[in-house]
Amino acid sequence: MSDAIQFLIIAFLVAIVLTGIHAYLGIHVLSRNVVFVDLALAQISAFGATVAFMLGHLPQSTAAYGYALAFTLAGAVLLSLSRHWSGRITQEAVIGVIYVVSAAAAFLLIDKAPQGAEHIKQLLVGSILTVTRDDLVRLTALYALIAAFHWLFRKRFLLLTLDPARAKAQGLSVGWWDFLFYASFGVVVTSSVAIAGVLLVFSFLIIPAAIGMIYSDNIARTLYIGWTAGALASAAGLSASYGWDLPTGATMVCAFGLTLALAGLVRPVIMLRGNERQRLLRKALRGTLTGFCIVGLLSGAWLTINPRADHPLLDAAEAAQPEIRNYFLSAAEREVYESAVTVESKVQGESARMNELERASRWQGSDLSDDDVRRLSSYVQSFQEMRKGEQFVQREIRNKARERQRWVIGVPLVLVSLGLLLFTLK
Amino acid sequence: MTPARYLALWLGLALCCGAAASDKIKVVTTTSDLRSLVEEVGKERVEAINLAPPTQDVEAYEPRPHDVQKLRDAKLVVRIGLDYDLWINKLLRDAHVDLRRGGKGYVDASIGVPLLEIRSTSFDATPGHSHGAGNPHYWLDPANAEVITGGIMEGLIRIDPAHGTTYKNNRNAFLARLKPKIEEWRRKLERYAGAPIVTYHNSWPYFARRFRLNIIDSIEPKPGIPPSPSHLAGLIRKMKEKRAAIIVVQPFESGQTPKLLAERAGALVVPLAPSVGSVPGIDDYLALIEYDVSLLAIAFEDRRRGKP
Repeated sequence: MSDAIQFLIIAFLVAIVLTGIHAYLGIHVLSRNVVFVDLALAQISAFGATVAFMLGHLPQSTAAYGYALAFTLAGAVLLSLSRHWSGRITQEAVIGVIYVVSAAAAFLLIDKAPQGAEHIKQLLVGSILTVTRDDLVRLTALYALIAAFHWLFRKRFLLLTLDPARAKAQGLSVGWWDFLFYASFGVVVTSSVAIAGVLLVFSFLIIPAAIGMIYSDNIARTLYIGWTAGALASAAGLSASYGWDLPTGATMVCAFGLTLALAGLVRPVIMLRGNERQRLLRKALRGTLTGFCIVGLLSGAWLTINPRADHPLLDAAEAAQPEIRNYFLSAAEREVYESAVTVESKVQGESARMNELERASRWQGSDLSDDDVRRLSSYVQSFQEMRKGEQFVQREIRNKARERQRWVIGVPLVLVSLGLLLFTLK
Repeated sequence: MTPARYLALWLGLALCCGAAASDKIKVVTTTSDLRSLVEEVGKERVEAINLAPPTQDVEAYEPRPHDVQKLRDAKLVVRIGLDYDLWINKLLRDAHVDLRRGGKGYVDASIGVPLLEIRSTSFDATPGHSHGAGNPHYWLDPANAEVITGGIMEGLIRIDPAHGTTYKNNRNAFLARLKPKIEEWRRKLERYAGAPIVTYHNSWPYFARRFRLNIIDSIEPKPGIPPSPSHLAGLIRKMKEKRAAIIVVQPFESGQTPKLLAERAGALVVPLAPSVGSVPGIDDYLALIEYDVSLLAIAFEDRRRGKP
């Protein structure tokens, strides 16, 4: 338990630090409409790290970091120039090209290296769980430095992002300040991606900023809201990952996505007043009802057309309330079904026991001979086939029942849904 | 020796060598371990190459255009099977009919090996090595080399029956070197029998069975899916409880999580070689097992003496 808490606390602190800087940068990125810029910069820096690796420098050495930084700065130059090129094509297109080319180039290089595939996977999903306390301290110091730099020149950076035409008119060197923005951004993204992976860093960058921007136009307020949302989403993601035994990075990304959806849903309820809110609620209610009707209509039609196919709605109902079966299975069918379930679990237990026996014999007691191992394997295989047979029986009984249901449930469901739908649309 | 005879001798020798060089049997294997075993059986009669480089995860290998060319010249294909080198199926589809499954130039080295962790004959998503057909890392049990070389020998005899005796003798010579070695290796690790260890992926069950090691768990039970915090926390608890002092990793596996676990549970990360050539200097099959056994013995000894 204590180990888990320790993992989670460090990971949570890292998430807070990441939210802190990325929510701010995210506002810039969203306003500039260069959403995928972090992927491009992260990939260029990874390409630099790969070049260093191929030249014989260890990953995580100073030299490797130097190469990554140099490549990132070169990428920043390219990106700050891309603003001028993007007359006929959008900047997003240039960013996309930078991303895929540097990704493919790194792939070509790393093809020869051991840990190549692992390296690329690591880049994608990261491992926020394995961050150490020292990493956390280093990361915090670096980001504080960059945050201070942005705070110092906040007026220029914000003007450039929100109103580049006026910035130019005021005599600000757009190219130079763009470069500074992308360079500092690149340094942040390079370090973040190394620990959290591309997917999660993208979420940190875009989602808190987006939530903030849904609720406010004011930069400071946008930031506060973004930070709060990011912290809540991180906490929810980490707890879910621990509680349900799920990979942390992917769970956190989904938690961030859900938070955004929730924020979008709640917004009208909070932001609107009186009459307007009531009208909206009515509209939402009607929309939900229409949705239910359409789902009902489609399920009913699908059941009537193809009763043996997958029926998610019926399956869900059956999983939630197994007693439902009693209504559409005859007593004889029910008996066969239940015995199939019992035999299946018995057979499964038996094959698990065999596997455990083999596993233990590798190091305990007298070892099994090769023939014993073969015999055990063939038992397990037969058990598995039996299990499949029992599952087949269950499926067949259910399919037969569904064939009867197509008229009893399918057609009425279609008619009722259609009637309701017509009623709500009127 | 008269000059004429002398000349004839040299001529004969030259002809012999020329003939030998030109009719060497080209063998393609999927892994370097199989290549090494093919060389043991074929010796100078064969010219073997492996497609997947030993420094990478063979299962994730993507065939190159050159591989098609290599297969075009080949007379014999030797593979691990059990879904380990599935990528060769695509290459074999365009290869000569003899090289395809059932052809006389096709050897699935897993045939006859006592397989572990067979879960089912049909596809089934099970944890562990997600191959229902059995764990494919069987070459890491040196005793299985007898079956593997047997399959290779039969394959070579099918395509080159004239030299059947040579292959049989070569294989017997190899087994004569292997068997005392297995005893020696077993003795070396005997005193650590039952020692609890952790592995990164579930790649070592055959090795563990031969040398009586107790693999209590793996860091990434489902290959490719990063471990969850609860799994890691459970693993640390289990490692402390059972005093598992060794974490076995392969060179291409990620280093961060094993390092973290090693710190938290007071264990040692031991990078073992899964294949011939995955660590420089391991040039043949016997050297591979020798390396792994020796390294593990040293690591166990260090832990026993309480060295860091």
